[in-house]
Amino acid sequence: MSKNALTALAGVGVALLAGLVILWAQGYPALPSYAALFSYSLFSKFAIVSTLNKATPLVLTGLSAAVGFGSNCVNLGQPGQFLIGAMAVAGFGIACDLPAPVMIPLAIMVALAAGALWAGIAAGFRRRFNMDEFITTLMLNFIADYFTLYLISGPMWDRATYSPMTKMTNPGSWLPMWDGLSAAFVVSCVAFVITWVIWDRSKLGYEWRVMGQNSVFARVGGCPSEANFTRAMLLSGALAGLAGGLMIMGGMQHRFVKGMGANYAWDGVMIAIVAANGMVPTGLYALFFAAIQTGAMGMELETAVPSEFALVLQAIIVLFVVASRESTRLLINNLAANLRARAAAVGAARERGRGEGGERGASGH
Amino acid sequence: MDDHFIEMRSLIKVYPPDTLALDHVDLTIKEGEIHSLIGENGAGKSTLMKVLYGMIPASSGEISLRGRRVRYASPREAVAAGIGMVHQEFMLVPSYTIYENVILGAEPVGRLGALRNAEARRRVQSLIDRYGLNLNIDDRVRDTSVGAQQKVEILKLLYRDVDVLIMDEPTAVLTPQETGELFRRLHDLNAAGKTIIFISHKLDEVLELSDTITVMRRGRHVATLENRGLGKADLARAMVGRDVVFSVDKPPAHCGDVVFEARDLSYMDAGGRLRLDGVSLAVRRGEIVGIAGVEGNGQFELVQLVTGLAPVQSGEVKICGRDVTGVPVIERRKLMCYVPQDRKASGSAQKMSLVDNAIMTHHRLNPRLESGWRMLLGPGKCRRFAQNLVDTFGVLAPNVDTPISSLSGGNQQKVVVGREFLFDADFVLLDQPTRGVDVGSVEFIQREIIRKRGSTEGATANMGENATAAAAAAAGCLLISADLDELFSLADRILVMHRGRIVADLAPPDTTREEVGEYMLGVRESQSQHWPRAQAASASASDPGGEEARAK
Repeated sequence: MSKNALTALAGVGVALLAGLVILWAQGYPALPSYAALFSYSLFSKFAIVSTLNKATPLVLTGLSAAVGFGSNCVNLGQPGQFLIGAMAVAGFGIACDLPAPVMIPLAIMVALAAGALWAGIAAGFRRRFNMDEFITTLMLNFIADYFTLYLISGPMWDRATYSPMTKMTNPGSWLPMWDGLSAAFVVSCVAFVITWVIWDRSKLGYEWRVMGQNSVFARVGGCPSEANFTRAMLLSGALAGLAGGLMIMGGMQHRFVKGMGANYAWDGVMIAIVAANGMVPTGLYALFFAAIQTGAMGMELETAVPSEFALVLQAIIVLFVVASRESTRLLINNLAANLRARAAAVGAARERGRGEGGERGASGH
Repeated sequence: MDDHFIEMRSLIKVYPPDTLALDHVDLTIKEGEIHSLIGENGAGKSTLMKVLYGMIPASSGEISLRGRRVRYASPREAVAAGIGMVHQEFMLVPSYTIYENVILGAEPVGRLGALRNAEARRRVQSLIDRYGLNLNIDDRVRDTSVGAQQKVEILKLLYRDVDVLIMDEPTAVLTPQETGELFRRLHDLNAAGKTIIFISHKLDEVLELSDTITVMRRGRHVATLENRGLGKADLARAMVGRDVVFSVDKPPAHCGDVVFEARDLSYMDAGGRLRLDGVSLAVRRGEIVGIAGVEGNGQFELVQLVTGLAPVQSGEVKICGRDVTGVPVIERRKLMCYVPQDRKASGSAQKMSLVDNAIMTHHRLNPRLESGWRMLLGPGKCRRFAQNLVDTFGVLAPNVDTPISSLSGGNQQKVVVGREFLFDADFVLLDQPTRGVDVGSVEFIQREIIRKRGSTEGATANMGENATAAAAAAAGCLLISADLDELFSLADRILVMHRGRIVADLAPPDTTREEVGEYMLGVRESQSQHWPRAQAASASASDPGGEEARAK
């Protein structure tokens, strides 16, 4: 565990250095840029609050991908599930007007259910028609994309505006803000804890983890693989749907706007990959990526480095961390093999020196 | 003829991270001989030949060919130097013809890249005629038998003008007739000057075929012997390192009630081949029933049906009196324990910790692993459970949090066997429980099997789902093994499977390996006199209520 943490840290460190070199090579003031990056994401109350708000959807999409990949369900439908979750909450928030204590929990349920439903379609296709969820979830993304676009530019379009978006939801569904920190962050923390308990402590989570490593072993051991697959898809979809729902419930706009959600879903996939599908690493990387994205905006203000640099940095981190994970393992194993071979060679030479032809020599274990 | 044709000196191969597969192996191959390499699974035979063939690099040591030091970086280089290898798995394109497969990768190309078929066809045909391979070069490979495909592999190498043919366990996939045919062809090739290296773990074949025999054990070269006046016992002793037939202390069996019963199981695979053809058998408490047979005669399917991994198409499976024919895996696992054949593929998750591997199935059946709430597992409880398994079954492991892949094969198998034997089940299904395991672990596991069978006279018949008898109480075991020695030392009865049927029911003291072997190969047909016993057993257990035939 700590060895993994060390290699990950080393990977992140090297990636940050590489980013420094890129900045420097492009003629930007490298060190001041980094200073700005972190001061605008970590070193003030406002910065931290912005980072946490940014992290809210990333934690959830990251968990969504980690639950999927970690149990061998290739759910790449986070973008679609995200949009459907958001749209469902938008619809619910417009149609119903209830007091907040009732409406907020209901809206959260709606977001979870909508995301789960969208992932459930893919799970159903897999079980009924043996269609690969890898393809169907990707295709469902397009359907969700155009379906929501149709809704916001047609039936649900707010005629008071000039671009495609829905009306505002009723205030009962709005999450409170405390000094700029949205309660959405708290919701996502609760979701994180629940997911962690399920994944790392429950029987179902154990079966999912085994399924992710060796599905035959799980089946032989008596785990109901088909049902577990569906369950994993549903949870994965629900988390992505919640991420979308919280975008409507939190923040300032409280309506479904065209182009909403941007890259949160794919960032989540990336986060799950660097985190090797672990729940705690997923949470940490989500915070880290949120910090980089938030800080990049400040960096743009201070040193004119375009905020797209955050994307470059994220990509480098993914590459370095994933590469360092595999390569250190291979490196260590090969090193061990070489040492063993050398030890065997030396041992035998000594044996031979002592007396020729001894049949039982330095024995391996 | 060169007496030092191929020389390998002090070859060491360590598979990362820590598996010493070759430990200072010296080997000399003479030109024009048939040289057999023999040893148990994991002795290093295949590894040695793959090093020679350039498939894997050696960690240290050197190889010379005709006195010149060589090192091949790839099989292509080895073939160019005249060394070819036929693997256990064939590397052929099924939809191509034999001719196309042979020239693939060495096409006779004329100007502008045009194939010059006529000349090459003549060459392939002449090779077939010269070595009596009896192949039709225009047949598609997918339409030919396994034996023919093997000959195509040989033909591919002959076409590339190799002088040395390495055959890696070629007979494992062949019928006895095909084996005979292969040996005749190998003799012809040898007579034509080819050097042949033959890898096997079957004593008879090696004695029949070879001029020289090299025995390997645990990565070491043990002995190289001229095949003159050698007997099986000599080879077996060298292979195992002591007299082979080590007897496991086995008290006589006291059979009780029937704990397992299969009636009229038939199974047709997706390709429409009948894999099981009306198999009926019964296992009683306190006995070990062995199933012998050449691999691929229905044992795999039988296990699949018993464990519930494949649906029963017709027939009936009963465990401890309960009809489990259509019941999901987990329900069956309450009544039986199961040691699967392949610990990597289906007996463990290699990257996961020892704890995670130890609690499989227990996590659903053993309430003591739960924390306060039924859905959750207690991490401390799971670790203690795994620690107990490690202590009870003598698993050598640094701690219970290491990934199981870091343990040796024998210790991994002990984890798997231990996990299964910690169930209080009355029926034990063992599918090759000691395959690919070191000798020490084999003995340990075999003792545990005998213990599981128990010898307590008429152990309290405590049938039903929640048999609370201690783990040591007698269970009934069904042991599937390809290893006749294992069957003879463990089994109280040996059933022989051939082409999806049980063709014999023999009792070890009254039978011989040769007799079992003849049934296995189908040389002897099933004899009705062997049947009454099995049928009497199954009749005694049948209750009138469970008669309805299940057919899906």
